[in-house]
Amino acid sequence: MARILTRTSPSLSVFACCLFLLFSPSMLFAAELQIQSDTLLRVFERDTTGTGDELVAPIYQYLKLNADNFSVEGLSFHAYGWGRQELLDSDFFREQSSGELIYAYLEYTAPDAPFSARLGRQYIFSGVANDSIDGLWLKGTLSEYFSASVYAGQPVGLSTTAGRSGDSIYGGRLAHKNKNFYEIGLSYQTSQNDGDTAANLLGIDLSAGLPMNASLYGYSTRNLETEGWAEHSYEVNFQLDRFSFRPFYEYYSYLDYFDSGANATNPFKLLALSGEDLSTFGVDASWRQSESFTFGGKFKAYSYDQNQASNLISLIVSWNSESVELTQAGAEIGYMSGDAANNDYLLLRLYGFYDELGDRYWLDFISGDVVYALYDRDILGRSYSVFTSLGAGKTFFNDQLTLRLSGDYSQDPYFDDNLQVLLSASFAYDFSL
Amino acid sequence: MPKPIKIQYFLFLLLTSVLAACAVQTQSYRVPAQHPEDSGIGKRPPICVDCHEASDDQFNWQQFNHTTYFADNHRQVALRNEQACAMCHQTSFCNDCHATGLELKPSLKNQTETYRRTPHRGDYLSRHRIDGRVDPSSCFRCHRNPKASGSCVRCHG
Repeated sequence: MARILTRTSPSLSVFACCLFLLFSPSMLFAAELQIQSDTLLRVFERDTTGTGDELVAPIYQYLKLNADNFSVEGLSFHAYGWGRQELLDSDFFREQSSGELIYAYLEYTAPDAPFSARLGRQYIFSGVANDSIDGLWLKGTLSEYFSASVYAGQPVGLSTTAGRSGDSIYGGRLAHKNKNFYEIGLSYQTSQNDGDTAANLLGIDLSAGLPMNASLYGYSTRNLETEGWAEHSYEVNFQLDRFSFRPFYEYYSYLDYFDSGANATNPFKLLALSGEDLSTFGVDASWRQSESFTFGGKFKAYSYDQNQASNLISLIVSWNSESVELTQAGAEIGYMSGDAANNDYLLLRLYGFYDELGDRYWLDFISGDVVYALYDRDILGRSYSVFTSLGAGKTFFNDQLTLRLSGDYSQDPYFDDNLQVLLSASFAYDFSL
Repeated sequence: MPKPIKIQYFLFLLLTSVLAACAVQTQSYRVPAQHPEDSGIGKRPPICVDCHEASDDQFNWQQFNHTTYFADNHRQVALRNEQACAMCHQTSFCNDCHATGLELKPSLKNQTETYRRTPHRGDYLSRHRIDGRVDPSSCFRCHRNPKASGSCVRCHG
């Protein structure tokens, strides 16, 4: 964990502030803590800069903390992060970060009013925002018909470019809503990377109730730097008896969608220069034939201003046990085809999970799947990929501790024989202070 | 040279004050912070309308039915109803896929959970050459910033 904090030092002040507040004596009173630890050990072989078929054995530690029920009603603290340590001498991870603080924020939700605030590292997903920030986010209802959220801080995703000096992000969303009949949102975001504009986006989103419990959803984004529409995404959801349908339409202008100024990286920077436009339309459908069997199908057509068109069709069937457990088995087949043969491939997947072994066996659950892809044109001299995994697990101490062992084997264009083993231990602990 | 941002922070504080003041005066429908534990929904992905009305004046429960393709298509409902997702999922659940700075893809971190339609299962390194050509917008949604595109630039430069 020490290495994580060293690498994220610019956010240390925010994190430390949260911790200080958390552990101040007045707040500790009657606090309840939930801790979840996930330890994963992977073992596999890779060619590295120094050696061929070198054994790599990283161990990952994920740690999650939730604290609430402080003496201040509505206050809580949440943190989640991971770190990695390579157990052998491999230099496989030499150019990669060895950990990340995913979030660490103090949250206040007003008990008697629709208002909440978060301070610290957090993920913002609202309107055009789809970003991790170190900062402050506020959300509330202005009246029966209006709500708003605003945020400001530093974008985590830009910290790798010239440090965090000159980095900033802020934005918000204003929404008008009439009960459950409709909602129209207007959102804005601007971000700076090292003092240069990385994004300047305006978004409009819409949801509306239609007859027969159908719903319309829409979302459009305008790139204010390139002054063009980056994306339109619209869909209708409706249900007829045990059938569900989702027809949809999407449009992307590569210049406006991928051009992200000082934010741009390859391969997206090159895609923006292509000037391509992509339109897709199609439908997803599913049918709950019974409590046990569900069938699904998807069709999606891709058309372009310059490139050759493609179509995707997929079918899925799944069987569930009628109990409340997760036992499930299924099969999926998908086929991508189009005018360009190098985009054609067939995908098959079979999977199963069984957690009703009961007292007959020492194990609590077993799992497995097979994924097979057949390419119309060889990729790196091979026409197929096959991947298979097997796993098993057992819980202890009233489900507080879960041990899992799994392995996967694959043959594909990148690996002739690829065997990996994963051992994980998950431990959850709740206690009061 | 960095642009002056003092006026922006002033506006942010002003908006914050208005937001907090108005919220205190408003009473509107909010979903509960947590789904009732004794509801008996079990571990399976829920079909909300099995217990709830499809829709009423206050909320549309049908949109959260975890049907076959819900994992593929939840973006539109999630961006407006984060609090509804939070009734059952902690943020860390979402961060298996949506985060900046992940190393293990979700299908590997949760390898035994084969019942989840997690993205990139199996040999996605090969398949992404085609999926990326056909619809690169789906890559960009998660890998768009320099930190999240770290796994892309190793090959794409």
